[in-house]
Amino acid sequence: MESTLNVFGSQDTSRIAGLAAGETLWLTIAMSVAGAVIFVIVMGLVALAWRGRGTARAWWIIGGGVVFPVVVLALLFTVSTLVLRSIAGPVAPAHVIEVTGKQFWWNVIYDPDGRALRDANEIVLPLGEPVEIRLKSSDVIHSFWVPSIGGKMDMIPGRVNRLTVTATREGRFRGQCAEFCGLAHPLMAFEAVVLPHDEFDAFLTDLDGDASDAVTPQQRRGAEVFRENGCIACHRVAGLSEAQIGPDLTRIGQRATLGAGMWDMNTGNLAGWIVDVGDMKPGAEMPSYNQLSGPDLRALVAWLEGLT
Amino acid sequence: MTVAETPPDYSGAHKGEDKTFEGVWDTPKGLRVLSSVSHRVVGRRFIYTGFAFFLIAGFLALLVRTQLIVPGNTFLDLETYNQVFTMHGTLMMFLFAIPILEGFAVYLIPLMLGARDLIFPRLGQFGYYCYLFGGIIVLSSFLFDAAPDGGWFMYVPLSTQAHTPGLSADFWLIGITFAEIASVTAAVELITAILCARAPGMSLTKMPIFAWYILITAFMIAIGFPPLIIGSILLEAERLLGLPFFDPTLGGDPLLWQHLFWLFGHPEVYIIFLPAAGMVATMLPTFVGKPLFGYGFAVAAVVSMGFISFGLWAHHMFATGLPILSLSLFSAASTMVTVPTGIQIFCLIATLASGRPRLTVPMLFILGFLSIFVIGGLTGVMLASVPFNWQAHDSYFVVAHLHYVLIGGMVFPLIGAFYYWAPHFTGRMMSERLGRWVFGLMFVGFNVTFLLMHITGLRGMPRRVATYPEGLGWDRLNMLSSIGSYILAAGIVLFVYDFFRSRRHGPIAPRNPWGAGTLEWLYPPVAPGFNFHAIPPVHSREPLWDQPDLLEAEAHEVEGVMHGLRDGRRETVGCDPVSGAPLYILRLPHPTWVPMIAALGMALLFGATLASAYWLSGVGAVIALAAFAVWAWEPSDSGVTRDAGMGHDLPVNVVDRRSHMHVALVGTMLVLMALFASLVFGLLYLWNIRPDAAAAVARPEALTAGLGGLCGLGVALAGQMTRRAALADRFGITTVLSLLTAALAIAAAGLLGLSLGPVDPWVSALGATLWAIVAFTGLVLFALVFWALFNAARRTARRVGPGQSMPDFNLATLAKGAGLMVVVAAALFVAGAYGGVG
Repeated sequence: MESTLNVFGSQDTSRIAGLAAGETLWLTIAMSVAGAVIFVIVMGLVALAWRGRGTARAWWIIGGGVVFPVVVLALLFTVSTLVLRSIAGPVAPAHVIEVTGKQFWWNVIYDPDGRALRDANEIVLPLGEPVEIRLKSSDVIHSFWVPSIGGKMDMIPGRVNRLTVTATREGRFRGQCAEFCGLAHPLMAFEAVVLPHDEFDAFLTDLDGDASDAVTPQQRRGAEVFRENGCIACHRVAGLSEAQIGPDLTRIGQRATLGAGMWDMNTGNLAGWIVDVGDMKPGAEMPSYNQLSGPDLRALVAWLEGLT
Repeated sequence: MTVAETPPDYSGAHKGEDKTFEGVWDTPKGLRVLSSVSHRVVGRRFIYTGFAFFLIAGFLALLVRTQLIVPGNTFLDLETYNQVFTMHGTLMMFLFAIPILEGFAVYLIPLMLGARDLIFPRLGQFGYYCYLFGGIIVLSSFLFDAAPDGGWFMYVPLSTQAHTPGLSADFWLIGITFAEIASVTAAVELITAILCARAPGMSLTKMPIFAWYILITAFMIAIGFPPLIIGSILLEAERLLGLPFFDPTLGGDPLLWQHLFWLFGHPEVYIIFLPAAGMVATMLPTFVGKPLFGYGFAVAAVVSMGFISFGLWAHHMFATGLPILSLSLFSAASTMVTVPTGIQIFCLIATLASGRPRLTVPMLFILGFLSIFVIGGLTGVMLASVPFNWQAHDSYFVVAHLHYVLIGGMVFPLIGAFYYWAPHFTGRMMSERLGRWVFGLMFVGFNVTFLLMHITGLRGMPRRVATYPEGLGWDRLNMLSSIGSYILAAGIVLFVYDFFRSRRHGPIAPRNPWGAGTLEWLYPPVAPGFNFHAIPPVHSREPLWDQPDLLEAEAHEVEGVMHGLRDGRRETVGCDPVSGAPLYILRLPHPTWVPMIAALGMALLFGATLASAYWLSGVGAVIALAAFAVWAWEPSDSGVTRDAGMGHDLPVNVVDRRSHMHVALVGTMLVLMALFASLVFGLLYLWNIRPDAAAAVARPEALTAGLGGLCGLGVALAGQMTRRAALADRFGITTVLSLLTAALAIAAAGLLGLSLGPVDPWVSALGATLWAIVAFTGLVLFALVFWALFNAARRTARRVGPGQSMPDFNLATLAKGAGLMVVVAAALFVAGAYGGVG
């Protein structure tokens, strides 16, 4: 199950690309330094006490056990609350994206109250604009986390959670399910792609239309294979099928990863996926299609790669 | 040396009158050793069994680290990995940490407090077998290829039938709940032993600090375990019967499970930490040669920690979408716990400063505890900050934090405690030289493994992932963590080797080898089975330091109470809970198979339920109930007075509130009330969180529920009248009144059930919870009826003599508790009928 994916967007709380991650990193550093200092002080007191020879005083306990922590904690709590207010305070979001966790992938709907544009396993965010991520689950509890952008929120069946994020840097940032959700939990990731405002709008407009047409004869054959083998029963490809059991494939050729953030999107991986899903992602519900003939498989892959 | 005055003989002084004092306390030989009830035997079994689970769980941890040593590893497949990390957490938390600490408490408390045994030795044996059989059930899941794989936290809906078909979750729920019986029984037993059986003059303020730690821990177990027990039962009922407690489509809520789980799970952390901290506070003064500095502060800190720990649970749920205001409140409460922790740490530091510390092996482990635990505490404060928590939660940062707290706060003190108390188990000292190696390996291995994980987590690696792709900045950190884990494991292996080596080859331990001040070192290791020939009066927290006569004389010549008593019975002295003044003679049971048979019946009940052989479950329940009846059938021991020496003429048992029987029942009622309160919490939570679903549920019948509530009042009243009549030795009326109590209890249960006639438990979570409340109240009423009928039968069979009214005295207490539950349930149903709940 060795991944061939070599180039990731960062998945690191210290390589910040979001408002919350930036504020929190600052808090993290401050608390870590304070913690280290306090640790050194306490250990120093242990060392001093070791040589103390009968000098214990009751006020040490009051001072070290009550006064000092209360002062430090009051300070910490105040700072922490200020940070909390700045990252979770009420903001009017410019966009809404609904993300539904599923075992073991992500269903994405842009503008769910309006145009309801469907996609999967990749989340595109506009640079510098607050976006409300509306979090749902259709099976078990998952958790939405893009460390570089910041914040983490669970996706709980029967509930709708809201997380407002503001991306502050262009690029690709990896996110991953953070709540244990069953067999393939470690293989449930995605990429957040941050685009400038115009490109984001263009992306949405693009998503509104049908999938790209098959151009070559091979691609046209690929579309037929897709239909003949029943792929349309589960996957949506706008203009061809509206099924919503598996991930939306309308623009699969445009995504950088395959299998919910686990593999590089390329011809070999795509073909391997179709032929033996279970090997590349144990626990995925899709059956393997190893009965496809070589030419049919190549046609199918060519067509899928052309869906951009 | 008196004999019973009047026939029939109610003195109970005939069981082993042909035996010597030593013979009475002999541990049975051969296979019959399994019938032993001595706290020394049971405590050691808890310790050794717990350590075996520790080794198994540690081995599983090594599998985890081996899988994660390189990215994309295929050493374990996903399913196996999930089973391995689930079982690692489960075994460590439920079958190692709490049982082994309870084992130390069971072993040490009577020795430290000046008692010859715990007060309820049979309960100890019963608890041990529940623990053993429950643990075996959980472990056996590996044999059936059905090891639980849903995490030690078993979050729903992942653990429901729809998402985890098969038996794996059932193994977990049933096995762990079974094993938890041991924790709860041990808690009741320890509360009673600490309050009722101390050496003459040992007032609460003169108790060794360890006893305070254990007392508070025991109360926390009594209140903290019930939410999980209720949660597990509800989840098992959802899996087995389809009752929709957690199903959001039927008005349930997955978060209800998390609330119940963490209402237990957070106090659990302190339940694990406090006994270990108590060990530290016991060992450290020994090596400083001075009493614990700030004893009063420490006690106050432990008590307040006990309270605060129940107000923090939601900090495990910061990312579940709770309102910001709740987050802030729980965040503030979570930081508050630093104060009592800080007080305890500074008490230790001040103690260090008050004398000349000796750097022995246990002391090394105490220093390890101090440094590691302080880091764990500081990262805990960081996690209490909501924004930071949103980044670090469910990442490896939390893995690092919790291991700093639990390994630093519990495992290091525990290994130190083994080195310290080993002479008690083996009669020999463990090696100072090997001990230093053990410490060095463990300390270095631990920090290499877990210090780096803070960084791994902040670099974005989530927990509970069986594998990870390369190139995310986690590769080298994981490699180093895995190497560290092998070093840590080498330390543990060396410790095990040293323990076994010292059994044969260690130097024979002298009397009081460390120069400690507490009473458990009065005898040369290994202390005799009866603990004390005579129980010495105590007027200091460190009697061996402040009462020189104790160590000057041979241990068996030390003066004290109960020395000359030769009733052929196991006996110890019962005390006033506060002052420690001798109050009565406690008669203790002799070795018996009955508790083991009861536990086997329970094992059959649980095992058969797991195998869906429900008729066999019934057989198991009948065996267990029959064994309980035999257990309680023996004649009462009270009503006679003995000369206990040192001017104390003590009655055998007393019939009032200070009696150990009554204290134990109050402890049990605490558990029952906490169970009931957990259900009520569930009801109110669902009612509040899903008003839409609540409005759709059929309503209970108010009149019937109200009548049931009246019957509940009647139960309490009849129970109280039974007590009065029994105390006045009016046998006939007592029998009639206890039958009346039983009749009213049956009526109350019936009426409560009838009032829910319109409510279908299968179509709504709220309806199911209403029925769960009736079921639980019914179970308590069943126990009351069983007890009332049982008392009546014993009286009729002339097993009860004049003045032996303790069972009826306690019946009143149980009846009042049960009556209260009925009234609360009825009030809720009436409120529901008018206000729109269920």
